[in-house]
Amino acid sequence: MKKLLGVTLGILTAIGGFLDIGDIVTASVTGARFRMALAWAVVLGVVGIVIYAEMAGRVATLSHRPVFDLVRERVGARLGLANLFASYLITFLTLAAEVAGVALALQLASDVNYLLWIPLVGFLVWIVIWRVKFETMENVFGLFGLALIVMAVALWQLHPDWSSLWHSASRPGVASGEGAPTYFYYGIALFGATMTPYEVFFFSSGAVEERWQRSDLMLNRANVYLGFPLGGLLTLTLMALTAVVFAPMNITVEHLSQAALPTSLALGKVGLALILVGFFAATFSAALETGLSAGYTISQYFGWQWGKLVRPREASRFHVVVLLSLIGAVLLALTAIDPVKLTEYTVVLAAAALPLTYFPILVVANDPDFMGDKVNSRLSNAIASVYLGILIVVSIATIPLMIATKGGA
Amino acid sequence: MRLSELLDSEVVDCNGKRLGHVHDVQLIQDGPPLGTWGNAFRLEGLIVGPGSIGTRLGIVRPEMRGPWILKALFARRRSARVLVPWDRVREVGAERITADCVAAECQTAFTTDQASPPRG
Amino acid sequence: MNRPAPGRRLYAALHLLDRQILDADSMMAGKVDDLEFEQPRDGSEPYVATMLSGLGALGPRLGGRLGRWLSGIHRRLRPEPEPGPARIPFGVVKKLNNHVELTLHREELENNELEAWTRDNLIAHIPGAGHAPE
Repeated sequence: MKKLLGVTLGILTAIGGFLDIGDIVTASVTGARFRMALAWAVVLGVVGIVIYAEMAGRVATLSHRPVFDLVRERVGARLGLANLFASYLITFLTLAAEVAGVALALQLASDVNYLLWIPLVGFLVWIVIWRVKFETMENVFGLFGLALIVMAVALWQLHPDWSSLWHSASRPGVASGEGAPTYFYYGIALFGATMTPYEVFFFSSGAVEERWQRSDLMLNRANVYLGFPLGGLLTLTLMALTAVVFAPMNITVEHLSQAALPTSLALGKVGLALILVGFFAATFSAALETGLSAGYTISQYFGWQWGKLVRPREASRFHVVVLLSLIGAVLLALTAIDPVKLTEYTVVLAAAALPLTYFPILVVANDPDFMGDKVNSRLSNAIASVYLGILIVVSIATIPLMIATKGGA
Repeated sequence: MRLSELLDSEVVDCNGKRLGHVHDVQLIQDGPPLGTWGNAFRLEGLIVGPGSIGTRLGIVRPEMRGPWILKALFARRRSARVLVPWDRVREVGAERITADCVAAECQTAFTTDQASPPRG
Repeated sequence: MNRPAPGRRLYAALHLLDRQILDADSMMAGKVDDLEFEQPRDGSEPYVATMLSGLGALGPRLGGRLGRWLSGIHRRLRPEPEPGPARIPFGVVKKLNNHVELTLHREELENNELEAWTRDNLIAHIPGAGHAPE
């Protein structure tokens, strides 16, 4: 019974914790612009993150080594450092975007300008990392994130033309008036928002720190195979909401408030309150995860002690990195850089950087010295290799598309 | 002498012909006893060949069964990889290492009865 | 099987280099950034005598400007004018699997300087540094 409770909790937290500012922004922007024509990008991303997270979780459980430790061990110090530089930079930008996202959610709730919230948010994120237990953190924010289910209720309430929604999702042709480069650029953005690299750093580091055993592999798989796709459904729901409300009037989504609007239209104040709670939980937990991941990447490359389970003074370098990263992220967000634009650029870059960390994990997942008898099966290797191909294609296409579309204009 | 000084150094044979670069160093545990560890790892030979990523990643080892496509991509280079025994290394220079033998005399590395790393 | 039987073979870069080092309490104690060979006087082959770890070892290995900068940080943490890299004699290795386990505690290792410095000068001043999160 206790085990069942644990499994359920895990799945629920995975669903509630799935969305972050990247998903919220890209889903609402693309829903308004392309209706459901980019739904496939979310599906592709969900399948990808399921494969990637399962593999990384299995590797972490069996080898007791987290992602960045293995990246350096596989590709060597020099390439590993280049890899670290790219991964850290993207994690840092994501952290800034999430902090801004939390501040925006607070602005929507309070009418106090988001810039004023930013330093407080930074401090809160830091103090939770410093003092709050891992499990408590995950569970509280994961469960509050479930408030986002209100979006599904809202969609239902709006009585959308379901067949037309399905029609635009199942015919992923280029929407009228939009060129193919823009279409694919936003496809990459959605893909990158769904397959966030920091998620895997965080996930695998948690698995190592909590010393997952072979008996936990099943639990890991349940969370990943059930939780992530259901989380992906939430992303698609948000996309549908803006498709229904904004697309018919050709309104573009440029502010976070527009992502909340359809729900408040459908369900009034209660709907708005719930979705804001959901946004806050989603972005705050993502800020925690990216803040920790910023510390994980650097510490794991150099072999420093990291983690939340030890006293901070036993992992001083790790905590200094986290603190400096938070300060930097707060400063970046305070430059009043457009949070929506920052998020869009960051998810696109994240998509481009995916092969860097995916590839070494795929190799280690096949290494019997690390995995024992739990190396990838031929089937999972086949699918995982196909995904590696997809990631490489996405990676190569990103910068040209970014230039060609002038950043999705 | 450090490992980093050996790795990636160019290796030429006694005729000056380029054998490649040092990808890795083969060690055998039959050296003098050290502390509480046991026998030290003696330097048995240099793994030399063209290119290097496949060796570094460990993909070309026989015990790695997949992913098929990566093994296929890196396997072409396998036959060109040789083991230069340390006793055939004449000189370790600042820029290159000179071997005492010709390419044909060196064994092909990574045969099945070679390294079996410890498990624990 | 934690100590390979005599005669076992390993590849230095694949199995030893860039591996995580764990101390006697399973705390993380850096990476194997380089290996140093000892040349015995009787003319037999060199053997791996020491593991080099920390910025003082990684700097020279990476080379270039970045390497020099890392080495610079290492020098600033040591009182001697020309400190060598932090050395861990191979004799204190307890176990070798996908990481390197030592018989010593990390405070006893030479590569602990940066951690000690950040702890004493930065982290220790923040309230709550001595408590594990609750």
